[in-house]
Amino acid sequence: MKPLDPRLLRQARAARGYVVLTAVLGLVTAGLVVAQALLIASVLAPAIQGSLTLPDVATPLSWLAAVVVVRAGVAWAQERFALKAATRTVAELREQVVSHAVALGPRWLATGRGPAVATLATRGLDDLEPYMVRYLPQLLLAATVTPATLAVVLGLDWISALIIAVTIPLVPLFMILVGQLTAGTSERRLQVMQRLGSQVLDLLAGLPTLRAFGREHGPEKRVRALGDANRRATMGTLRVAFLSGMVLELLTTLSVALVAVGIGLRLVYGEVGLEPALAVLVLAPEVYLPLRQVGMHFHASTDGIAAANQAFEVLDEPVPPVGTTPAPALAGARITFDGVSVRAGERDVLAPAALTTAFGARAAATDASGTGATPSGTVVALTGPSGSGKTTTALVLLGLLAPDAGRVLVTPRDGEPVDLADVDPTTWWPQVAWVPQRPTLTPGTVRDVVLDGREVPDADLAAAARLSGLDAVLDVLPDGWHTVIGQGGVGLSVGQRQRVALTAALLGDPARVPLVVLDEPTAHLDARGEQAVLDAVRTWRDQGRTVVVVAHRTSLVELADQVVTVASAPLPPAAGTEPAPSVPDASTASASSSGAVA
Amino acid sequence: MSDLDQVPGEPVAAGSTARVGTADDRTGTDPLWRAVRLLDVSWGRAAKAIGLGSLALASSVGLAAVAAWLIARASQMPPVLQLSVATVAVRAFGISRGVFRYLERLASHDVALRGMASLRANVYTSLASGRTAAVAGVRRGDLLARVGADVDAVGDVVVRAIIPAGVALVVSAGSVILVGAFLPSAGLALLACLLLAGVLGPWLSARAARRTEERGAAARAEMTSTVLETLEGAGPLTVSGRLAQRVDSLRRTDRELAAVTDSGARTSGTAAAVNNAAIGLAVLAALLLGIPAVAAGTLTPVELAVVVLTPLAVFEAAGVLPAAAVQMHRSRQAARRIMELLDAAATDVSEPPSTRGHAWSDRSEVVVTRAACGWDGRAAVTGVGLLVRPGRSVAVVGPSGVGKTTLLMTTAGLIPPVAGSVSLDDAPIATFPPDDVAHQVVFVAEDGHVFDTTVLENLRVARGDVTPDEASAALVDVGLDEWLSGLPDGVETTLGPDATTISGGERRRLLVARALLAPAPLLLVDEPAEHLDPATADELLTHLVATSRTGGRGIVVATHRLSALAAVDEVLLLGRPADASPDAPATVLARGTHAELLAHDEGYRWALAQETASV
Repeated sequence: MKPLDPRLLRQARAARGYVVLTAVLGLVTAGLVVAQALLIASVLAPAIQGSLTLPDVATPLSWLAAVVVVRAGVAWAQERFALKAATRTVAELREQVVSHAVALGPRWLATGRGPAVATLATRGLDDLEPYMVRYLPQLLLAATVTPATLAVVLGLDWISALIIAVTIPLVPLFMILVGQLTAGTSERRLQVMQRLGSQVLDLLAGLPTLRAFGREHGPEKRVRALGDANRRATMGTLRVAFLSGMVLELLTTLSVALVAVGIGLRLVYGEVGLEPALAVLVLAPEVYLPLRQVGMHFHASTDGIAAANQAFEVLDEPVPPVGTTPAPALAGARITFDGVSVRAGERDVLAPAALTTAFGARAAATDASGTGATPSGTVVALTGPSGSGKTTTALVLLGLLAPDAGRVLVTPRDGEPVDLADVDPTTWWPQVAWVPQRPTLTPGTVRDVVLDGREVPDADLAAAARLSGLDAVLDVLPDGWHTVIGQGGVGLSVGQRQRVALTAALLGDPARVPLVVLDEPTAHLDARGEQAVLDAVRTWRDQGRTVVVVAHRTSLVELADQVVTVASAPLPPAAGTEPAPSVPDASTASASSSGAVA
Repeated sequence: MSDLDQVPGEPVAAGSTARVGTADDRTGTDPLWRAVRLLDVSWGRAAKAIGLGSLALASSVGLAAVAAWLIARASQMPPVLQLSVATVAVRAFGISRGVFRYLERLASHDVALRGMASLRANVYTSLASGRTAAVAGVRRGDLLARVGADVDAVGDVVVRAIIPAGVALVVSAGSVILVGAFLPSAGLALLACLLLAGVLGPWLSARAARRTEERGAAARAEMTSTVLETLEGAGPLTVSGRLAQRVDSLRRTDRELAAVTDSGARTSGTAAAVNNAAIGLAVLAALLLGIPAVAAGTLTPVELAVVVLTPLAVFEAAGVLPAAAVQMHRSRQAARRIMELLDAAATDVSEPPSTRGHAWSDRSEVVVTRAACGWDGRAAVTGVGLLVRPGRSVAVVGPSGVGKTTLLMTTAGLIPPVAGSVSLDDAPIATFPPDDVAHQVVFVAEDGHVFDTTVLENLRVARGDVTPDEASAALVDVGLDEWLSGLPDGVETTLGPDATTISGGERRRLLVARALLAPAPLLLVDEPAEHLDPATADELLTHLVATSRTGGRGIVVATHRLSALAAVDEVLLLGRPADASPDAPATVLARGTHAELLAHDEGYRWALAQETASV
């Protein structure tokens, strides 16, 4: 753990300029501190020793006034730019952390890092502000003011300088010692804080459920206990962290006292003049002040450094490699799953296990109309018992998840097959529309949520709503398209939420978005509502799109041109690279696909 | 500070929610003070922290004053013995400062951390007893901000504002008296400079903060929400190409935050300058006033040293006040958001539960009579009669959005009927305390929450004493045996946040298993068979009904799958009459057993045919 991590300067542009500015201001401050002390002594000493009138000291007094003004200016600049730089540094890191976490993909986020990254990005990084605004300047002042003032004290009275010089090395020594003691606890505290954050939030999110069971008062104790645990953990850290502060204060204040007593006694014997004695008395606390401040803000610094380290930890997490080949045109392409297996979470299960199938443009591409340009659409149903990996299969197809074994090949019309792993996903995604299993809607009006910033003619919007069955939902909403829906679409049932997501997915241009992936689109729909979805799926097919649906219902399976059965299998104990023994998907798929083609 | 006098040493009971509503009458409408009351701060502890802090700074001032006296006196070359008290005092102050400061920091942080824990618990309690809709209406990010950063900000007011302000007041007053005792005019000058640093500086900061904090808080909440939405919707955002847009809006809110901080920084810069200038001015004033006083003989030369050099140590106390003033505003904004949430959740106490101490049996009945159900007085379903009694099973079917969930929630007493009545054991259900009702009638929502804890603890939500064996048995009963055997630690396996690590079908069955473990004699289950393949869905529904019947339980199931409904005693078909306008409320179109409806109802027959068309 370094007091100033070079990675921080590398990652955050705002931090670099700030450190330079602060160092310059530190040098100016050093000069001003020395000037102020010498001026005060030069006025005060003759005033104490003999009768003196103000005109006698008019010049040093006006210099002193000037120093006061300039010091105020420096203080202004330091504070002003420190806050500015801190905000920008936090913003830069926040953006990097969030972008990187998203790039790490759904599997990484689902391992519990999601909420932790959220806490880090929203609150944890704020710890960098006190670190940069309070701690860093003092650190740099300790490097400028402390040596400068000490040198002046040496020139004035070498014995006092010796006392100070002996105690100063003790300061960093204790700091390092205490720093080593606190490093672990501070990181633990951040973890406790994050755990507390996600657990309290989890309890609040689950409140409706708890209330349904009449159990909402049980976790009160737990919330209290979580708070108590946090307090105890924090106080434990503070007791040690503040100890460093106390040792520092003790060392520095006691040294100032010793310098004062020593120089006072030597004054009695005339070994030192009054003017240098007064100057030393004023300067002695100034030598230690930056060091004391460093100690005072030490726990702020460890929090800040711990937060920065967490950010770097996320940033250092290697992003799964993404391909660079531009995606082939999906229209008319064939997609082949070749022995695709994915390990399910932390369980010893492969879901899907060795999935092998192929789907895409049908041979009927050159049809009776003679144009031959428009490929016929196709509907592929992914079926299988729950937990067999249907959604995971969809994620693989979407390029959000790399299979642990096997590969997905995309064969464009008149082209060579390309491994999806080599494809640049940013060229793949624009060709795909996705309605996930549990759509999360951003709050806003239904219209805003569906459009999400896109410009769509009202007629197209209405048509999409008709197709998805959203129009029936709009009929019962108080303000129709302009009804405001809350977090996760509160006020809408899950089925209605899905229709909103469906409508949003319908608005894509069929030519540019040839692949539609729907995860259980008929869930939460009744028999008649289901009909609307079936119509939508048919429409997509008629538009020439390939529709991959995660399906349970017979009606949808019936509609499908091809049925792919997804199955899971236990992870082979060797945990080698070879996937589980193949399951007979391919035969199932080909068997069921033949009959369904109209 | 006078703030401390407002709630003198009041012992505050923990966990009471009544105070949320009644806090206004004593402390005005300042949300900060309402929130501070919820911190349950022990004012004795706060006073102790102020005392320790004052002692620490007084040591500092004492050191400066006595050292100045010592040097000045020494220059007159007196006998060394005359200086011995001063030398001892200087050394003692040198030691006591650090010790008192350490103790003060521990004491003040302890007060604040205790307060934050209490406030979080109090927020939870208020939300637990209040209206559920209040929680559901808040964005997840906002909620995290409120129980997290906002609670911290309210707690910080203790450490960063109240205690430092108290210390500054005590130490400044003492120093002015000390200097004034030697030279009254210098004391007044010091007072003026202290007012400059301790009042003008903080006032400047406070004024700017008032203008900018609100904008900052809004931007911050916006930023938090954007971050969370981006992370939660990472996959869909990536695929739909909206990710860059979200990162842009994150950058925009961050820029907004930066702009707000910048305008605040200009003023805190000014405050820092004022504070810095005040120290210099105090020294200059002491010299300008002291030198003529020495010449006039009203001040000894030794005292001049004290008068000039003491102020150098005094301003440390006033120096933290601008930050304290800003903290007050930051905390007030945070407190306002917390209080908004609590006020929204505050229950309408116009009709408090009146039936207490009712002798519950396991033969409770819920009777719904000619009820209209809906939200905010708007009926979604009208004219519903429903009897829920132990051993009886009812299915409510109908298209999605028709109001099945609303009917179930009304039956459970979670929302009041718009018209008609819902009674439990012959008394209106609203007259019972909600807890009592929940122990008789459990409503299982279709999007029930799966907690970020072990499978076992998730099942214990229904009943606290579920044993691991009972848990395993319940999971096997709903067909989760394979899933269970795949879990590394069995029922002790921790599920991921919001259970994204289990599939939709597994999740549904887990919720059903949990419902079946509830001790309540009446169960209302919303869409138990979603996300399941047809065979599993029918099997689960049949199991649910059969288990309830053998257990002597009453059950109502809302579903749109009809094929397994031969198992239930009665089916209610909800829908809009064919000739009704689309926004007319739905009603019961038909009721009877599965066989009767099949025989007589065309729509029912069609819907069933859709399901069983193939496979």
